[in-house]
Amino acid sequence: MRSVRVWLEKSGRAIYTSHLDLNRCMTRAVRRANIPLWYTEGFNPHPYLMFPLPLPLGQSSDGEPMDIRIETDMTDGEIFDALSRVMPEGFTVKSVGEPKDKAGDVAMAQYGITLEFPDSAQAERTAGVIRTLIDGGELTAEKTGKKGRMKVVKEIKLNDFIHRFEAGSEDCYVKISAVLSAGSTVNLNPALLLDALYKAGDFEPVYTEIRRQKLLKSDFSDFE
Amino acid sequence: MLSKELKNILLKVQKPGRYTGGELNSVVKNRADIAVRYAFCFPDTYEIGMSHLGMKILYGLVNEREDAWCERVFAPWLDMEEQMRKNNIPLYALESGDPIAGFDIIGFTLQYELCYTNVLNMLDLAGLPVRSADRKALTPIVIAGGPCVCNPEPLAPFIDLFLPGEGEEVTNDIIDLIKKHKALGSTKEEFLKDAVKIQGVYAPSFYSVEYNSDDTVKAVTPSNGAPEKVKKRIVSDLDSCYYPDKFVVPFLEVVHDRTTAELFRGCIRGCRFCQAGFLYRPIREKAAKTVEDQCRRLCDSTGYDEISLCSLSTSDYTKLFPLLNDLLEWTEKDRINIALPSLRIDNFPEELMQKISGVRRSGLTFAPEAGTQRLRDVINKNVTEEEVMSTAKEAFDGGWTAVKLYFMIGLPTETLEDVEGIAKLAQKVVDEFYHNPNKPKGKSVTVSVSASTFVPKPFTPFQWEAQDTAGVIAEKQKHLFESNTTRKVNISCHKVYTSVLEGVFARGDRRLAEVIETAWRSGCKFDGWDDVFDTEKWTQAFEKCNISPEFYASRQRSFDEVLPWDHMDYGISKNFLINENKRAHEGVTTPSCREKCSGCGTNKLNGGVCHALCKSMA
Repeated sequence: MRSVRVWLEKSGRAIYTSHLDLNRCMTRAVRRANIPLWYTEGFNPHPYLMFPLPLPLGQSSDGEPMDIRIETDMTDGEIFDALSRVMPEGFTVKSVGEPKDKAGDVAMAQYGITLEFPDSAQAERTAGVIRTLIDGGELTAEKTGKKGRMKVVKEIKLNDFIHRFEAGSEDCYVKISAVLSAGSTVNLNPALLLDALYKAGDFEPVYTEIRRQKLLKSDFSDFE
Repeated sequence: MLSKELKNILLKVQKPGRYTGGELNSVVKNRADIAVRYAFCFPDTYEIGMSHLGMKILYGLVNEREDAWCERVFAPWLDMEEQMRKNNIPLYALESGDPIAGFDIIGFTLQYELCYTNVLNMLDLAGLPVRSADRKALTPIVIAGGPCVCNPEPLAPFIDLFLPGEGEEVTNDIIDLIKKHKALGSTKEEFLKDAVKIQGVYAPSFYSVEYNSDDTVKAVTPSNGAPEKVKKRIVSDLDSCYYPDKFVVPFLEVVHDRTTAELFRGCIRGCRFCQAGFLYRPIREKAAKTVEDQCRRLCDSTGYDEISLCSLSTSDYTKLFPLLNDLLEWTEKDRINIALPSLRIDNFPEELMQKISGVRRSGLTFAPEAGTQRLRDVINKNVTEEEVMSTAKEAFDGGWTAVKLYFMIGLPTETLEDVEGIAKLAQKVVDEFYHNPNKPKGKSVTVSVSASTFVPKPFTPFQWEAQDTAGVIAEKQKHLFESNTTRKVNISCHKVYTSVLEGVFARGDRRLAEVIETAWRSGCKFDGWDDVFDTEKWTQAFEKCNISPEFYASRQRSFDEVLPWDHMDYGISKNFLINENKRAHEGVTTPSCREKCSGCGTNKLNGGVCHALCKSMA
């Protein structure tokens, strides 16, 4: 048995696959590729396959890590080829290798965000508004959390989770590059940040695209 | 690819994966190479439609052709419909994203009566008039198949052609014909006149219906060369018949998400309430080798880890044990689970049972259907109380603690004593658990009783019977709850009014079309969904059209009444059904087709061949 980390690009129609559905979808892909998965032992054995950082529905990604445990002496190259042949539309295998970092080491993620506006003047103006709002440091959002068994709505200060942020305009688009907290303990979904910006700045783009570009560790080095 | 407009909407609705297409094994073709475009519409949600085997078969079958392209269409859920109407997005097919109004054939599968308003709603969402008469052009031609087509009359004004029976052959006939008439530049009428020459094609507009003064049907008269009786189509040889080696694998979880193999068509049991048991006759079995090959190919192409062996009564498949042994040779190794729905576990070899249940184990279900032996004899459900008990005992021996029992309320001749019998039988199963020395230690037992409402259906021996009124059903349900004295038994019942509505449409005539349209225009859709169903709106629709639902549902018919579906020929002789009805009222059972042929007549559809009798076949 050995562990393998598969990096997958997710784009196009595949971005509407939720995390739970993705798990099932990839388990089947691995089965079609005839890669024998290692099954957990116990009362209800299931194949070991997990995503260190689930991607929210509706967002695309340059490379999502997927960890599997396999029972085979196939090489990384053979796994790459076998998986590439069976991937559903919208998923591309980027690379296959040994997991160097532990899933828990993910601390941040870098996103590329595109907002479309009716014209370039509006895009330029909005880029300015966004920069002012981020620099102001007062952005908040409501998040439902749990306190014991109770569900509570709490207000969070978004700036605590924004590590890098640039916004500029290009034609009728606002292009944002951002590094946000990510991981199983603290995580800022860029969609939540955008909603806060729309609300505070009183604007709404006609179309939005969010793409996760890479995962980072706490020292800003790449998660591998 | 998806338009930006659609992408914006997708993030505003639940489960957007229902509306994107792009699933593994979905078929995309080049529009320029295609002569006939076919929109296969399932008038319910994606999750339900994607579980339907018939759609998988016909989808694959049409897409085998180079000149045709079959795409899938499902009813958008309420939130998506709202967004589509707000943004002027017409109903589109999942593979191409093209609006279906531009297709050549729009085909609906009618699996249950409560989807009728969804059919209208989907046509409307496509931007088409719901009535055939208002769709003047040759294409799109709107066709419908599926079990409800055995009495298509309530939908007659909306559908251009109904296709009773099995679709494998007739679908190709229709595609060939529409291709020809498109090339000729024919009118819709010219096409329809040609279409009714094909066996198993019913053009409702070519039949006029006259009524008696008491509102019963007087006569149905064909014109334009249409046949007096429309004979259903069947496939004679299932081994050589098309079966897909690929299923579209959905991204999101659907109801039945697995490899499905069909073992045989038809049923030897002859339970008198069961429409499927009569509609799908005669019996035709697949060879075990065919089934195994098909399972293998499907598992390879989908990656599914479960195979479901389907048919109306799985354990009646004559080659079940050899098939299971062959399958287990590779399924165990590949960690594939075998599911056997509708299985009677009495006489099932213990060793095989353990192998099958080895992977995963869920509860156990059993369908006595009625609470007393007297009533079980009436409905010809040949299950005895001893069999229920011995099955329960085996289940408890094997470590199960949950048993599900299925019953019906409202069966012909039923009394309150029979209803009480349901609770008593459930109680006996509970007792069986506590008397069993091998019962799982430290665990309690749960017996779930599901009591649905009996709806008399065409082409069954009960097609003349009066359905219990809503009031009587409610009273019987109440009595059932009151008869239950233990918390180990959970009882659940169906909503009363939906069953009545199902009964109205099942045996309805053409005049109901107006009620369906009125109800749909007032907002009715997804009537099979309890949380959407609107009793008030339906009641108003009946009142507005001055039509009494009781006339259709709760009226006893005489054997000589002309039934609205008498011009449909499913091969079953009316005398056989009358005889079965009489035996029911005498409480006399009829042996299974394998023990003794009771002469239903359906073997004539298949050149005299019925596999219930010649076991040596295949």
